[in-house]
Parts: sequence; C-alpha cells; structure tokens
Amino acid sequence: MTDQVTTPRPAPAGIRSRIDATDIARIAVFAALTAVLGLPGGFAVFGSVPITAQTLGVMLAGAVLGAWRGALAMLVFLALVALGLPLLAGGHGGLAVFVGPTAGYLLGWVVGAFVVGAIVHAGGRRLTWLRTSVGVLVGGILIVYAVGVPVSALVLRLPLGPTALGSAVFLPGDLIKAAITVVVTMTLVRAYPRALRARPSVRA
Amino acid sequence: MLTLYRPGTGWLHRAPAGPKALALLVIVLAVSLMPSTWLAAAVGAGVAVACYLVPRIGLAELGRQIVAVRWIIVVTFGFQVIFLPLESATANTVRVVAAIVIAALLVLTTRVGDLLDAFELGLGGFRRFGLDPARVALVLAVAITTVPVLARIAVGVRESQRARGARAGIRSFVIPFLVVSLKHADDLGDALTARGVA
Repeated sequence: MTDQVTTPRPAPAGIRSRIDATDIARIAVFAALTAVLGLPGGFAVFGSVPITAQTLGVMLAGAVLGAWRGALAMLVFLALVALGLPLLAGGHGGLAVFVGPTAGYLLGWVVGAFVVGAIVHAGGRRLTWLRTSVGVLVGGILIVYAVGVPVSALVLRLPLGPTALGSAVFLPGDLIKAAITVVVTMTLVRAYPRALRARPSVRA
Repeated sequence: MLTLYRPGTGWLHRAPAGPKALALLVIVLAVSLMPSTWLAAAVGAGVAVACYLVPRIGLAELGRQIVAVRWIIVVTFGFQVIFLPLESATANTVRVVAAIVIAALLVLTTRVGDLLDAFELGLGGFRRFGLDPARVALVLAVAITTVPVLARIAVGVRESQRARGARAGIRSFVIPFLVVSLKHADDLGDALTARGVA
C-alpha cells in the first residue's frame, strides 16, 4: 500500500483523486453499517411487525457521506454481498441475489444513495430540514423504486403496473425509515458535526 | 465471520475463482433468457439439477438452497398466478429459482478470499480509467473487518440503553450507534494514514 503515497493522481475526471484515507474508512464503515442494520434481531416498530432497517443505511450513507462517497459505500456493500457474505436482510448473499427479482433494488441503492447525497448536500450549503427531507424521499424511495420495479418486472416478466402495485407493500416501512433518516441526519449535524464536514473539493 | 462457503474437495471447489464465476454467469444468463413455456421450465429445472449433480455437490444442498429462497418462490408464484396464465407463472418462477440456485454455486464452492483476489485481478482492466484495484481491495478488506466491529458496537449501544431503562426504539438506537460508528471511522482513517495510505 505504501506506493499509494507517490502514485500520480489522475485528472479530476476520476473521483479517486478525492478519496483519501478518511474517505476509505467512512465508505467502509457505512458499508458495514448497512450490513449490521440487516442482521437478525431486527427492530420492532409497530408492535411486532418486523421491518428491515437496511434501506436506512442507504439513506444515511447518502445523507451523511454525500453523493459520491455514499454511492461508493453502497457499491462496497454490494461487493461484499457478491463475494458471498450473507449480509442482506434474512442472511442472503452471493451472486444469486443479483439475478433474483429484487436485483434492481440493490442497483437502486447505489443510484439512490447518490441522489440523496446530491440533493441533501446541494451547493455545499448548510443542511436544512426541507432539503434533507426532499433528498431522502426522492433518492431513498423514488429512485430506488424507479430502478427496482422495472428490473423486477423484467425478471418476473410481469407488466409494470402489477409489479409496482406489489412493491407498494414496502412503501409504509420506507416512509418511516425516510422520516427516521431526516431526524437522525439533522440531529447528527449538532451531535457530531465532523460527520458532515464541509470539503471544498467535494463537487456534489 | 460467517460466510456462505461450504468446504469441499470436488473439482468445482478446486476450479479457479475467475473462470468459475464467468462460466456460472453464462449458464445463469442462458437460463434467464429462456421463454415462459412448460418446456423451458423443465429445461431450466434440469440445468439446475445438473449443476448440482455433475460436480457432486448433491441434491441435499440444492434442497437447502431452494428452502432458503422459499419466500421468493411463494411471493413470485402467488403474485404471477393472479396476472398470468398458469404456464407463464410456473415457467417464470422456475426460471427465477433456477437462476438463483445456479448462481449460489459460486459462493458455495469458493472462499471469500479467493473471490476477492479474482475480483482484484478482474478490476485490472479498469486501471486505464483511473481505478486502482489494490485500493478497491483495501476498501473491501477494511469493510469486511468492520462488520463484526459495528455489530459489537450495536450490541453495546443496545445493552447500555437497556441498563438505563430506555425504551428500545429504532430512532433512539440509530443516533448513538451512528455517532460511535463515525468515531470508529475517524480512528480507522487515522490508522490508515499512519500506515501510509494517503
């Protein structure tokens, strides 16, 4: 790893030029956080209805890390899943989950985390309740479904309408998680400001 | 950490990870592209059975894999049979399950470390786009070792809340969990910097 220090950095086109050791650690930690949120022993929200908290990790990664690093954290998480670690809720993992009906949602997590980060941190300004809420709803729910439903329809060879209808069962849970993400992110601004450090070099 | 790997000595276990992944992907793709007919369903099921019988993985393992995705089967078939004729619904369900169980063979027969090495090797082609495979492998390795650390942090946060008599809710859990995790990330970043990772 020592050769990294002197490796010439590529043109600004590559996102790598902005990924330093702190970013590597945060990307790894948010990938792991998404994994831990899917472990058994889930959280009871409404009485005893268990919902997976895993998409909470998707929204939090984008909201806290920003667009690029949030999306990279999701890519790292999915790479761990593909390598055979049973990290998806319910202990699923391996290449198999990428050919199943829910594969599109996993892809949607990467795009979704990016969009959450892009909206929440738009312009590099201070976080506001409104922008954070819009970002989490659009990126964390709308985008994830926009990628997940068509892929699901394609894999199952079902029309889009019924597939969308079927995935609407998860909407209430996702709305709760979106609300939690907004509250948690805005609390984090005060509880641990370093988490959302402003970096002039970060584009989105 | 627990992985999906099942130790074995058959030729599929000994096959190099990269070519094995490519071969299985080709089979999965071929199965996925089959039409929604009775015949295709029979062929898909036959290919899946053959994929477990020929390398002597055994039908017991195939059974375990199918049980593991039982909810996908129930939901997929139950939902399809409402909107599609029985033939399409059955063929689609069989095809999806066949693709899933065939793809599962890769992690069943390959260690995570071997897959990680093959992955790093495969990323070499992206070097010209400014991607550094060694750096990607480092992030993955750090993330793998961080999962049990965060799992411990999660248990610790929950236990200290219980000790204080706090109600266990998802919001009151997430904020302290996130703060402790982010502190761990900062320590990790310092440790990486100290070891010469820029």
